[in-house]
Amino acid sequence: MAVIEVDGLTKRFDGLTVVDHVSFTVEQGSVVGFLGPNGAGKTTTLRMLLGLVTPSEGTAMINGCRYADLVDPLHVVGAALESSLAYPGRSARNHLRIAALASGAAPQRADEALGLVDLTGAADRRVGQFSLGMRQRLALATALLCDPEILILDEPANGLDPEGVHWLRALLRHLAEEGRTVLVSSHILAEVAQTVDSVVILDRGRLVTESSLADLTIRGTLVVQVRTPRAAELAELLAVQCATATVTGADRVEITGATSEQIGTLAAEHAIPIFETTTEAADLEDIFLRLTTNTTRTEVTP
Amino acid sequence: MTRLIRTELLKLATMRLTYGLLAVAAALTALFSLLENNRAGTSGTGVPPTSIADGLRTVTTVTGFAMLIAAVLGSIVANGEFRHSTATLTYLATPRRARVLGAKAIAAVSVGAVFGLVAGIIATGVGLIFVAAHGDHVALSTSTLIADVAGAVVGAALLAALGVAVGSLVRSQLATVIGIFVWAIIIESIIGGLYTSVRPYLPCTAATTLAGAKLGNAAFGPAHGLNGGGPLPFAAAAALIAAIAAAVALIASRTTLRRDIT
Repeated sequence: MAVIEVDGLTKRFDGLTVVDHVSFTVEQGSVVGFLGPNGAGKTTTLRMLLGLVTPSEGTAMINGCRYADLVDPLHVVGAALESSLAYPGRSARNHLRIAALASGAAPQRADEALGLVDLTGAADRRVGQFSLGMRQRLALATALLCDPEILILDEPANGLDPEGVHWLRALLRHLAEEGRTVLVSSHILAEVAQTVDSVVILDRGRLVTESSLADLTIRGTLVVQVRTPRAAELAELLAVQCATATVTGADRVEITGATSEQIGTLAAEHAIPIFETTTEAADLEDIFLRLTTNTTRTEVTP
Repeated sequence: MTRLIRTELLKLATMRLTYGLLAVAAALTALFSLLENNRAGTSGTGVPPTSIADGLRTVTTVTGFAMLIAAVLGSIVANGEFRHSTATLTYLATPRRARVLGAKAIAAVSVGAVFGLVAGIIATGVGLIFVAAHGDHVALSTSTLIADVAGAVVGAALLAALGVAVGSLVRSQLATVIGIFVWAIIIESIIGGLYTSVRPYLPCTAATTLAGAKLGNAAFGPAHGLNGGGPLPFAAAAALIAAIAAAVALIASRTTLRRDIT
């Protein structure tokens, strides 16, 4: 069952299309990475999903209804958005007490939530004195306050040190094991790759791909490096065949989306000499980069 | 709705600014009641001595600045949430934004009433202390003194509500705070000074007349002391401010309140 359904979601700010007809679904109990470079429209999409930004077109539903129509929404969806920071003069505990009161959670949940994110020791410190990492933890505590089934986390790893990222991964894994649905955004695939089941990738406001992590790995695994004196010519021929070819040096082409056999045959048909081919497996980060920088990478530059 | 109002009150209780503004309101009231007390009975000021009713009442009703501070607090209740991005969490918990506005108005009314009460007690206290020091008879009846303190409570509460409405319409905290002072001290003074018949209907002036200030003493700025015209009846003045606040809040709910939270 899809708990999050985004359909044709579009947002234009002053004539600029920030999110362009984005559609995807998130199944109950799945952990989905919402990926894309900075400025891809991830935050705007999440804010539309949460009723904070009004879509120009399209719909975003949670459990079949708009966020604004949810009864006690924080009990259904917990969200940690980048800027949902607390008033700097307030203590972490008071920030959560306010959130608990507003959402109808029991007052003791404030302390329990602080415990969940290892902030108990800083409960009475003013949020203004918190490091970025501590603020991220506090935002997570706020999201977890009402024990929601769905979690929407926007760049939760931002500002965390390596130890913090490790901690976050463990927390996400723990939340997933509890059967919660998690939609977590990031501009770095590696941050979430160990935790997510599938990915939704956005680039310049458009949906690039929606697939399981396994499919994504298979699809882009092979990278073929070819050494040929007619690099540009080969790249152009490959581009016609819908492979992605980038001229990386005077006599080098890097190709994805075609096997070395296909490349060799194509080269032979056009009498292009090939000195060397090497096939290597790309890691997920490369696939992600390739997908999100698609338009620039397909340009065949001599 | 009770939950929402309690949430807004808890927000105010956990902000140092609330206490700071209350201290400023109390200090300003004490300062102005001392200044009025010095003016009272001094030749050339036109203020009668505190030994007679009119003179004492100019001292005990200087609660107008505390009311303006209550209006400032009201505006911060509304748009302070945008300064620190806390609006995101507020609207995540309560997506119905008009309900949040209503809860904020009620919370601000309660806290504004406290500002008015504190200011009323200070102004009355300063007046009575000086009367006692001079060995004069208290020229005002107890019921008048109590009614004026009650009027300060109502005036501050209503201006706090108006502050929430204005703060909901304009998201910039700095612009609203400056705007409130410019409106009350300069604009109302100019309009009131030029057209005395309009004067009782100006919201900040009307609020001070609720607390018993004579119309001539009700204005804050250059028109202070300028006489002419009578104040609106209590209920009419209160209804007028409430109506202005409601109208501004309605405009805000149709415009600014619907804007994206980014």
